[in-house]
Amino acid sequence: MADANRQPLLDRAAALVAGPFLLGQRALSLAFLPDKPSPPEPSPDATPRIPITPPEHAIKRRG
Amino acid sequence: MKTQLPEHGPVEAPRFWRTLEERVETLEARQAAHDEFLPGAIPGPGYDDVHGLPVQSGVSRRDFFGLVGAAAAVAATVACDRKGQGTVVPYTKRPVEVVPGVANYYASAFQEGRRIYPVLVKTREGRPIHLSGNDEHPGVKGKTSPRAMADVLRLYDPDRLRAPKAEGRTIGWVEAESRLHAALKDAKATGKPVLLISGALVSPTRKALLADLKAALPTLEHLAYEPALGDAGEEAAKASFGEAVDLQPRLAKAKVILSLGADFLNGEDPEALGAWGAKRRLKDAHDPINRLWVLEGPLTLTGTNADVRIPIAPSRLGAMAFALAKGLAAKGVVLPAGADLAGISAGAPAEIPAKTWSALLNDLRQAGRQAVVLCGAQMPVEVHQAAHLLNAMLNSEAVAMLPAEPLATVKDLAAAVQGMAAGRYAAAIFWDVNPAFTFPMAAAWKTALPKVPLRAWIGLMEDETSAQCQLLLPESHWLESWGDFSTPSAAVLQQPTLGTLYDTRQGEDILLGALKALGAAAPGSYHAFLQARWQKEVLTGASFEQALHDGLLKVEPKSVAPVFRGASAAAAAKRAAESNTEGLELVLFPGFATHDGRHANNSWLQETPDPITKMTWDNPVSVSVQDAKALGLQEGDLVTLSLDNVTLRLPAVIQPGQAQGVLALALGYGRSTGGVAKGVGANAYPLMGVDPAAANVRRGVRLAKAGGTKELARTQSHHRMEGRDIVRSLTMAEYAHDPQGHRHTPEIVSLYEEQRFPDHKWGMVIDLAACVGCSACMVACQSENNVPVVGPEQVARGREMHWIRIDRYYEGELENPRVVHQPMLCQHCDSAPCENVCPVNATTHSSEGLNQMTYNRCVGTRYCGNNCPYKVRRFNFLEYTAYKTEPETLAYNPEVTVRPRGVMEKCSFCVQRINDGKVRAKGEGRAILDGEVTTACMAGCPSDAIVFGDLKDPKSKVAQLVNASRAYRVLEELGVKPAITYLADLKNPAVVGGSHAV
Repeated sequence: MADANRQPLLDRAAALVAGPFLLGQRALSLAFLPDKPSPPEPSPDATPRIPITPPEHAIKRRG
Repeated sequence: MKTQLPEHGPVEAPRFWRTLEERVETLEARQAAHDEFLPGAIPGPGYDDVHGLPVQSGVSRRDFFGLVGAAAAVAATVACDRKGQGTVVPYTKRPVEVVPGVANYYASAFQEGRRIYPVLVKTREGRPIHLSGNDEHPGVKGKTSPRAMADVLRLYDPDRLRAPKAEGRTIGWVEAESRLHAALKDAKATGKPVLLISGALVSPTRKALLADLKAALPTLEHLAYEPALGDAGEEAAKASFGEAVDLQPRLAKAKVILSLGADFLNGEDPEALGAWGAKRRLKDAHDPINRLWVLEGPLTLTGTNADVRIPIAPSRLGAMAFALAKGLAAKGVVLPAGADLAGISAGAPAEIPAKTWSALLNDLRQAGRQAVVLCGAQMPVEVHQAAHLLNAMLNSEAVAMLPAEPLATVKDLAAAVQGMAAGRYAAAIFWDVNPAFTFPMAAAWKTALPKVPLRAWIGLMEDETSAQCQLLLPESHWLESWGDFSTPSAAVLQQPTLGTLYDTRQGEDILLGALKALGAAAPGSYHAFLQARWQKEVLTGASFEQALHDGLLKVEPKSVAPVFRGASAAAAAKRAAESNTEGLELVLFPGFATHDGRHANNSWLQETPDPITKMTWDNPVSVSVQDAKALGLQEGDLVTLSLDNVTLRLPAVIQPGQAQGVLALALGYGRSTGGVAKGVGANAYPLMGVDPAAANVRRGVRLAKAGGTKELARTQSHHRMEGRDIVRSLTMAEYAHDPQGHRHTPEIVSLYEEQRFPDHKWGMVIDLAACVGCSACMVACQSENNVPVVGPEQVARGREMHWIRIDRYYEGELENPRVVHQPMLCQHCDSAPCENVCPVNATTHSSEGLNQMTYNRCVGTRYCGNNCPYKVRRFNFLEYTAYKTEPETLAYNPEVTVRPRGVMEKCSFCVQRINDGKVRAKGEGRAILDGEVTTACMAGCPSDAIVFGDLKDPKSKVAQLVNASRAYRVLEELGVKPAITYLADLKNPAVVGGSHAV
């Protein structure tokens, strides 16, 4: 399948070089924005956990 | 895949076939068999390997990975940051019941309609994660139903209502209760009626509570409504016995069973399935076996297990059943006094050959008390009455008539709607029911309900009814609630298995609050109310704690034999004789996954293939082969279904074995609420009738092509095995003649050294004669092994993830084929072809004969799946689990790894259960006992068709069964040495004049 879809060599080379370059640039610009402060660290309890409580008065079979 | 039905079948049709394509041997079918996997499930010309879509970008897989690799390297340099850290902490206050890593088991009970399922609930660290039947209950004997097992998922449904609401805003319970109580007090003062609609009343304590409420509020009108149970049965019981009756088969006592459209093997009734399995697991041809005759319109699971099946339109069944009564009377069986069958023609009906008819009559007469006639809940009233008459004539001991609380019919509900429209009610309370969805005249409902001043709703998840109510009161799940039920052999207790997850209350506690507000003396909680009633009326010296531990208190079954009113048969026979049988006939039945719609938001059930159509995530209309030919329909064609100004547009499937002129459509789909349920399928309730005598069987339906097609998420054509010798089915005559005649053991020469298993060699036996195809094993496996749900689009591409599937094979003609169901799972081959081809040693063989997966080694080459002759390996094409959050993740079994994208998975023979058994045995200083270790599928199988155990223990059940005369291994000739042995299916057709009755 790969052979059937293979692009001309120049296209592939361009894609391989330009892709990472552009993505990297984008990633760097996101990480090092000059004016914006970095987002705050999420607090440990940011996602509320659903409390699991034992049943009252129930009698277990085994365990 | 499109299938044009042929004028004539192929010259040499295959003996067993699974799909129409295989039966007519289309080019597509041959190509599909050759290709092994569906397009999209594998890389192929023109398809993207990752998403299974046609290649559109022009970028090849190799380029894509090149790009991704380089981009990742750059991105990684700037992304080295710590985020999303979890914190693992020990219990700071450990609940006394919980030992981390050790499961607790509680006995409780689940109700669906009039049926009660006593269950054992497995909890881990306080979370219920798996349900199985309560082995203490004398009826169900440790078995339960697929829907009961799947209901643990509903506990963790993210759509659950978490706090009370009024007019759309969240409120507290104080405000919610004060509003409800004020309305009820006002109603009491003014004398205006209050309407309460709930499900079936099977709980004696709930009944006592409602009686107290009625005493405190005399204007209370209570309707118990179950839209899926069929009103005709209720009407027929009233006519035949003068009271509501819950009719339960006792198949252990039956030698001959005649089903009139009754689907008693559909997985809902574990007691019936247990008795059926016991009669079919024959050790040799001399063992007694029952015989099942089925007359039905749509093909049902019971029909697929029939020894003799005759497709008949439901409207003809009444006349036929009364003709049977007449035939029996002619043979000397006494007709009850007053039973006048004057209008019924005697002799064989036109649809049934005279010899077959005569064989049926002889079977019934000879079996006498050990014969039973069962009628489908959806059949018209006259068919039910004819079944009552036949059972009375035979004095059948294979059916129990149990007293039951009467159910409201659609007619009663229509009267209530009229009352609402006229402004009769001061308040209406809807408790665990959804009439806005299930009532056939939706428009009338929508207009009438707003005329009730206070509309309160008590339920688990917001639905169509809650959308029209002002006050929403969130109900606790039954696993968080108290309750009790009466079953024939035991008083069953329901106890909470965890504290409430949200700010919810059980419905009874809400009504108890109302009772107190109305001035009545009542205990503080429903738990206290229940305990007080049990101490006073049930326990009689026994301990409540012991009853909670067992989940029940055994009681002597009350034998109530309502007297059959012979005179009632005359009117029913007249109705049957006059039944109109022209045109198309639509049968509306509860969906396997959805029941009446209450389970529609359960993704486990939605993705479990319907046992007959093998459809997931949809309710297409089933059309007979003959009608499809006449209309020029193909599978997946969109059609319009019209009746009484209601038109549905939905896809069609062609169903072999369905009677000509009959259409079948499942109820419970087409919900407009619920994250899972919304938009899945079409709502068939508007097509239901308002005549309780025949609400589920409608005549005069118009079916037409709508243009266009829909891709069906249907699993039947997946994982095919090219017509090899996979299923074996014998008639009793063949079995008696040569019990091992089906065997053709090939000579196997292996290049590999014989493997040694020093301690254990785990193996399984599956009896195809006992397997009814109910899919309980699939749901049990899904719950136990964290099997992901993939959704309809992925299922359509053949990417469903079930570790065990039920292959349904047809045999014979399209119009009325015989059917064999075969559970198919990893065969744990000793010379496993998958193990040899794994480049990273991710799949290996254990010293106990298990073919095991090491998930973190797997790199997803899928060579193993390609090389598996049984097509039982499942690949995580997409990320199905990582983005799940609480509460959904609370349903996971912590003993089983949750698999990420890119990993192959398959049945592990529930290795975690094996290890649990080994640890327990070691702790007690003994060997593992036979039957101590059960796989989830075995424990879930209601007919005990699956047996698992240690083949090295010669006394084990499994070791004895592998040498049975019906034993064979699938694809044995490949020399892969599977650890699963199948026992050939058995059919017991009546022999008429030297040949089998058809």
